Amino acid sequence: MTVVGTPPAPPAAPPPLAPNTTTVTLTIDGQPVTVPKGTNVLEAAKELGIDIPAFCYHPGLPIVAQCRQCLVAVEKNPKLQPSCQQVCGEGMVVHTQDKQSTLARKQMLEFTLLNHPIDCPICDKAGECTLQKLYFEADNEDSRVDVPKVEKAKVVDLGPTVVLDQERCILCSRCIRTCDVVAGEHQLEFAHRGEHEVLTTAPGAQLDNPYSLNTVDVCPVGALTAKDFRFTMRAWELEATPTVCNGCATGCNVELHHKDERAWRIVPRHNPAVNKYWMCDEGRFTYHDLREQRLAGAIVDGLPAGWDRAIAYAAQRITAALKDNGLAVALSALAGNEDNFALAQLAKSWGLTRVFVGALAPIPSRADGRLRVADVNPNTAGVAEICRALGLEVTTDVTGVKCLVMLGDTLDVEVTGIELIAIAAHERGPVIKAKAALPCADWAERAGTITNNQGHVQRQHAAFPPLGHAIPAWEAVVRLAQATSVKMSFTHVREVFVEMTNTVPAWKGSPWVREARPLQLRFAGSRG
Amino acid sequence: MAATRDITSLKQLVLGRKDVQDLIDEEIELPPDLMTINMGPSHPAMHGTVRIVLTVDGETIVKGDVQPGYLHRCFEKESEYATYTQVFPYTDRLNYVSPMLNNVGWAMAVEKLMGLTDQIPKRAEYIRVIVGEISRITDHLTCIGASAMELGAFAVFLFFLKAREWLYELLEKVSGARLTHSYVRIGGVVKDLPEGFCDELSYNLDQVAKVIVEVEGLLNANKIFRDRMAGIGKLTREEAIATGCVGPIARAAGVDYDVRKDYPYSVYPELEFDVPVGTTGDCLDRYLIRMEELKQSMRILRQCIAQIPGGSVMVDDHRVALPPKRDTYNTIESMIRHFKHIVDGIRVPAGEAYTFIEGGNGELGFYVAADGTGRPYKAYVRSPSFVHLSTAEKLITGHFIADVVPIFGMINMIGGECDK
Repeated sequence: MTVVGTPPAPPAAPPPLAPNTTTVTLTIDGQPVTVPKGTNVLEAAKELGIDIPAFCYHPGLPIVAQCRQCLVAVEKNPKLQPSCQQVCGEGMVVHTQDKQSTLARKQMLEFTLLNHPIDCPICDKAGECTLQKLYFEADNEDSRVDVPKVEKAKVVDLGPTVVLDQERCILCSRCIRTCDVVAGEHQLEFAHRGEHEVLTTAPGAQLDNPYSLNTVDVCPVGALTAKDFRFTMRAWELEATPTVCNGCATGCNVELHHKDERAWRIVPRHNPAVNKYWMCDEGRFTYHDLREQRLAGAIVDGLPAGWDRAIAYAAQRITAALKDNGLAVALSALAGNEDNFALAQLAKSWGLTRVFVGALAPIPSRADGRLRVADVNPNTAGVAEICRALGLEVTTDVTGVKCLVMLGDTLDVEVTGIELIAIAAHERGPVIKAKAALPCADWAERAGTITNNQGHVQRQHAAFPPLGHAIPAWEAVVRLAQATSVKMSFTHVREVFVEMTNTVPAWKGSPWVREARPLQLRFAGSRG
Repeated sequence: MAATRDITSLKQLVLGRKDVQDLIDEEIELPPDLMTINMGPSHPAMHGTVRIVLTVDGETIVKGDVQPGYLHRCFEKESEYATYTQVFPYTDRLNYVSPMLNNVGWAMAVEKLMGLTDQIPKRAEYIRVIVGEISRITDHLTCIGASAMELGAFAVFLFFLKAREWLYELLEKVSGARLTHSYVRIGGVVKDLPEGFCDELSYNLDQVAKVIVEVEGLLNANKIFRDRMAGIGKLTREEAIATGCVGPIARAAGVDYDVRKDYPYSVYPELEFDVPVGTTGDCLDRYLIRMEELKQSMRILRQCIAQIPGGSVMVDDHRVALPPKRDTYNTIESMIRHFKHIVDGIRVPAGEAYTFIEGGNGELGFYVAADGTGRPYKAYVRSPSFVHLSTAEKLITGHFIADVVPIFGMINMIGGECDK
């Protein structure tokens, strides 16, 4: 029987919109906070310094409210709400520390730990694990489990870069969404149901996108580990120095993790203007090069030499070439702004009007419209800007060049018969043939700036001192200048930067960023 | 006559010159100008490594420039790079003849910061008092024994070190280490007393008491000892207060101040003991005060043996207590907690705290500033030795060079504590 009656009353008219419709004001734990419309409660709480625990929520990923770890009580709402998914409303009253939601979160954590293996001593994530962090901060209760844990596959080779431990996985789906969002490829998925649910790739498929290692970063536990880093170094023993990736012209902001003057890995650092939370896999591997074919001491005529003799020798060759009008200078699109600027200024002082620019050939197949671009030189834009400002013409014509002072180890012009004076970090390419090679700091050892393809002048901090007898390249340039009677008196990279920003119109007034001290990850709290 | 001549020639042989009586007047007079000589930094009669640049007029000290710092180990700075628990071994090396007291002081400062002070189990408190008072006894035994030895009473040194060794052996049974115990933990102590400890302690105390009676017989009425100690290095009550002196030195000068009585902590309110106070403030009084404190500490210990309750020795708070090893190996929860405690350290809420206890040499204070991480943002120790050493220049001025030895002995400057 169908009951025909009065239809339900239409919903009451919405209250008149507040005059300011772009922001909403709500109360979290008794403190009012005003946030842009559309912000979720978790982010709003962060504004107040309240850290709501969460596993599946990541600010750079779509929200799925899957882990239920961020449950909070919202007044007038009968059930607890996942704060990552709950959008802030005007006048909303949220409690994060009340009995109900605290208990719910503790219970959720207990569920999460239910089948988690006792792997901390052998787990690569230990020390920077979100699960450890949240348990210690928000739960810290004893185990109540008296049944065996569910066993799953411990070593699943997902692809060329990542290994999965299915037992450790807490099924937050961050990695799945990371592949979807960052790489645009849906390569990971959950299979099976209930306690047998596992993360996996499609049968026969691999996790092989060029951004695959981001899944390791976002993994809140040690389920996904990078083949490059696993079982090499304990995370809590590392120190982190903020710097910029030297792998290509994008200039992703990264943290270099190092210990005892050795780099162990690179992880992305949040920069909404450049790389957001991500970086590509190739960029992560660039730290290996810091130990490859390094030039640790000066070389004259193929034999080791002291700095003084090398500089004197180079100065003598340069002076002779200047007399013959056969001197040339090559800047490097792989070196920093300060290094290039110092050398460009010296070239001007020597009376040169044209410079070569050493750069790696572009790789068109790299460009994917995401973070990877064809230009694999980190500082192409910076060198171009410096040349423009100083009125130096970029050339590839070697006619008449007898002696070439080059920065870096890359040069794509024919150098046979030319006397090379190289200021380089690596002994390879043309540097091997150089008459004099002056060792300089590599990118991780260099304090200074580089300019990415968007024109951002980004600060690189020195993670550790230069290898062996190497010194920063700008310093080697200053020594060359003084040896050839050119007045150049920079004593700190900051002075080069200030001079450079005064000279290059595009960078006028850029502030110098103070040196960042390495952060001990052990005491940084697990950053998860 | 022949015998006299023999002695004279012997003197000439030994001294290389004539007898004093045979010298003419000009030769007897000492040169009128002041002389500067070094005492230390490495001197057998100097406690710890400290240098005094003495300006002497003949044998009398006109000025003494005391220069500590040779044993600076950066206790405070090192603590900023260690977890709260890892600081305990550093505290062991402050006053290294009574490390347990330093352990307790540090633990109490952190506990105050965490609001745990009232929750420490009774048994743990009693154990802390027991090991602390044993440490006070070893401290005083060392001080008196070494000072007496420096005045020539070598037997006293041997007697007291023998007694000290009995107590060190007891502490070794408790903690596993003879000297660097690191036995106390934030929230309690690391493990319970070994089986039969109290009986053994009781027996040893009787033995130590006998040694004390022996030594009192050797020293108290000993003319040499009294002549070297009485009236030497006097400090008035006002001076003691003005310079911040504490402990036996202040009490010898008549300052009735003992942290255990005036700002009672732990279970001291439940224990009966007296605080000896001196009258003259000289070295002899300091000696007598220490002797009496030995007896009072033994009195406290006997009460503790009788009163110590059963129960846990660690507070039942997962923020500070390590899980049992069995659980650590078998449950993920305990594994994580263990990991976090060891690697990241106990999380101490942001804030600052200062606590002070009666150490071997007096008020021993620890200040901790926390920033919410697992390690101190700043640690500071108010070490009594450092304060007492600042009075040394005043105390030795006007005395003979030889008096530096008993004065320094009774100041009981411990290098590790003074130089931090």
